[in-house]
Amino acid sequence: MKKSSIWKNKYLLIGLFMTGLCLLLGILGLFWTPYEPTKISAAERFVGPSLKHLFGTDNFGRDIFSRVMKGLSATIVIGTSVVLFSATMGILLGALTGYFGGIVDEIVMRITDALNGFPSILLALVLISIFGNGKQNVILALGLVFIPSYVRIVRSEFIRLRDADFIKRARLMGVSKVRILFVHILPNIFSVFWVSVMIGFNNAILAESGMSYLGIGVQPPDASLGKMLSDAQGYLQRAPWFALSSGLTIVWLVLGFALLSEGVQRMNNN
Amino acid sequence: MIKIENLSVAFDGTEVVKNVNLEITDGEILGIVGESGSGKSVTALTLMGLVSETAEVTSGRIVVDDCVLREAGKPVDKKLYRTMQGDNMSMIFQEPMTSLNPTQKVGKQVGEMLKLHTVLTKEEIKAKVLETFEAVGLRNPELVYNCYPHQLSGGMRQRVMIAMAVILHPDLVVADEPTTALDVSIQNQIVALLKDINTKENNSMIFITHDLNLARRICDRVAVMKDGRIVELGATEDIFLRPQESYTKNLMEAVPSRLKRRVSAMKNADNKEPIVQVKDLSVFYEDRGSNPFAKKVRKCIVKNATFDIYKGESLGLVGESGCGKTTLSKAILGMNMITTGEVIQTTVRPQMIFQDPYSSLNPSKTIGWLLQEPLRARGILDPSQKMTKADMEAAAYEMLKRVGLEEKYFTRKPSQLSGGQRQRISIGQALITRPGLIVADEPVSALDVTVQAQIMELMQNLQQEMELSYLFISHDINVVYKMCDRIMVMKEGQILEIGETEEIFAHPQNEYTQTLFRDSL
Repeated sequence: MKKSSIWKNKYLLIGLFMTGLCLLLGILGLFWTPYEPTKISAAERFVGPSLKHLFGTDNFGRDIFSRVMKGLSATIVIGTSVVLFSATMGILLGALTGYFGGIVDEIVMRITDALNGFPSILLALVLISIFGNGKQNVILALGLVFIPSYVRIVRSEFIRLRDADFIKRARLMGVSKVRILFVHILPNIFSVFWVSVMIGFNNAILAESGMSYLGIGVQPPDASLGKMLSDAQGYLQRAPWFALSSGLTIVWLVLGFALLSEGVQRMNNN
Repeated sequence: MIKIENLSVAFDGTEVVKNVNLEITDGEILGIVGESGSGKSVTALTLMGLVSETAEVTSGRIVVDDCVLREAGKPVDKKLYRTMQGDNMSMIFQEPMTSLNPTQKVGKQVGEMLKLHTVLTKEEIKAKVLETFEAVGLRNPELVYNCYPHQLSGGMRQRVMIAMAVILHPDLVVADEPTTALDVSIQNQIVALLKDINTKENNSMIFITHDLNLARRICDRVAVMKDGRIVELGATEDIFLRPQESYTKNLMEAVPSRLKRRVSAMKNADNKEPIVQVKDLSVFYEDRGSNPFAKKVRKCIVKNATFDIYKGESLGLVGESGCGKTTLSKAILGMNMITTGEVIQTTVRPQMIFQDPYSSLNPSKTIGWLLQEPLRARGILDPSQKMTKADMEAAAYEMLKRVGLEEKYFTRKPSQLSGGQRQRISIGQALITRPGLIVADEPVSALDVTVQAQIMELMQNLQQEMELSYLFISHDINVVYKMCDRIMVMKEGQILEIGETEEIFAHPQNEYTQTLFRDSL
């Protein structure tokens, strides 16, 4: 990969900038925020954006910028965990079903077909109602919901590569099956896989925000972008910055990741 | 008469065809030969007006019967080309499967040519198509007319393509590698057909090929191209027997031919110690078809094969595609599940070299890693043979030198290597554990003539150094002749004949062997 072509890849650059800023704020938010995000101040209700309060304050007089930072960190932690969980499971299941085929493949694929039949948020809602509320359960529910998409991609790549000449030769050399799966084939699917991971991250973020908006994700008083958006709904006219700050942050993050994945895809194609 | 005057064609500013001058007279077959990337196809595609839009004619012009078809600096006259294509000139491509529309009956596709260029009625068109089908040697034209491309064999598809190309009796037919995708005996029929059409119609033909033996058989004159230039142009026999330019000389030198004397790489021809003994081996495939609940049907692919491979020899395996060559070789390597009979091996883990150098190396690894992987795998299987990291690296460097590549390739990825270099790495990878037996499945078929000669030489040198045995599978009889000490002929899963190379070429016993050898001359 030449340096110059990275600089020419606008999608990649803008995507990196947008997601980088969010990640920075989110990670910073884990340790430090300008104000205590849960501190209530009756005197400072609905203060508009200013240098003191960048995004203004909400109906309890809490600093919105601090809450956005906290919300971002929650979103990033959940999104990353969901992707890690579902991508790992997807690689394992996809590799096994794709490489070996047979009856296990049939069963796993029919299960994923069934899961794909439901809208993902709906399925996550069902799982949450079984597991109960809470961050861990949101991660688990979304993680399970997103496994099929990874299984499909990994499986089709493994099917494509399992009969390649270089894999036949590896078999003749006496390379073990596990090593063929994860050392010989797996690195070859990463270029395709990265893109789907980034799209998956986006979907996870949106799903988490949606669930928090509906009140079954992150529980108050913890900040969450989706929950903030739903709280802000009642004050759209009185304090438009409340809804805008949380809403635009979600848009910014999702758009950033979409651009990033497009950029990576273009980089792979060259 | 077609004249190409001082033609240069460039893609993105790089010239791939440089100042080419060609003249084709009526009734003549002109061959354009050269290695991949020499510009032979681009020349023909430019002549036909089929070259991609990004190509730019930077100098010269193309004149057909005093009509300027294309000139440098002027836009392409698409309308003129459309009337010319089909009526005056037509083209036959290499891959008949992709040149025909898979969703349409072939009769209709051929009839399309008439519909566009003539005023015939439906019935007349069909009659004419059937007549042309008959002329290109398609038996039962009615049946073929209603077939889809996938229902026809490769040879039949190519005949349909030829029918499509000649149905309007064009003055010029351009055939771009028309037989490369076909079996030897079919190849011969197609060449005979093209020659026959040429004599009957007295049209001109441009025959593009990388196969010099083939060009020699069919062409009146031959142009040798290299790096976009015509190196030499002359009567076929002059070019082949008295080449003037050094490049042409090298090229002719590299062509494997039975007319040249064969040098065996076998060290002691008298000491015949079998390294593999195959006794009464049959190989089966089980298939359920598309119905997952159907009972498996057992198909016999190789029937009762019995033969030995001796230490240090090359045993050639020839036969048409689908005759069971690859299945037999896989059975020897222990890759098939269902076999009867016996394979007695005295070697450990015999290795295989494949035809396609682009898919036989893992694209995500470096050359150094690839060369060490067999050693690592052996170390895992058998801890007593475990090597240290430094030892493996040293062995990989040593092998890199042996296969004739510099040390700098150690850290490169396969995508940075040429086809010939990749095939060298494949050979090195196969040999690094010193397996004793290598199964080489068409190892040089995908390579250019000069690279082919280099790889064959490398294989023979390594064979002598390491006392290797090869099971050498190829459809190219001349390559097999050059490489092999003994030859085994297979047809429909059965071994028809096996014997010493000279003996079997001089006195083929079996009728099939006789035609196979005659076709390849």
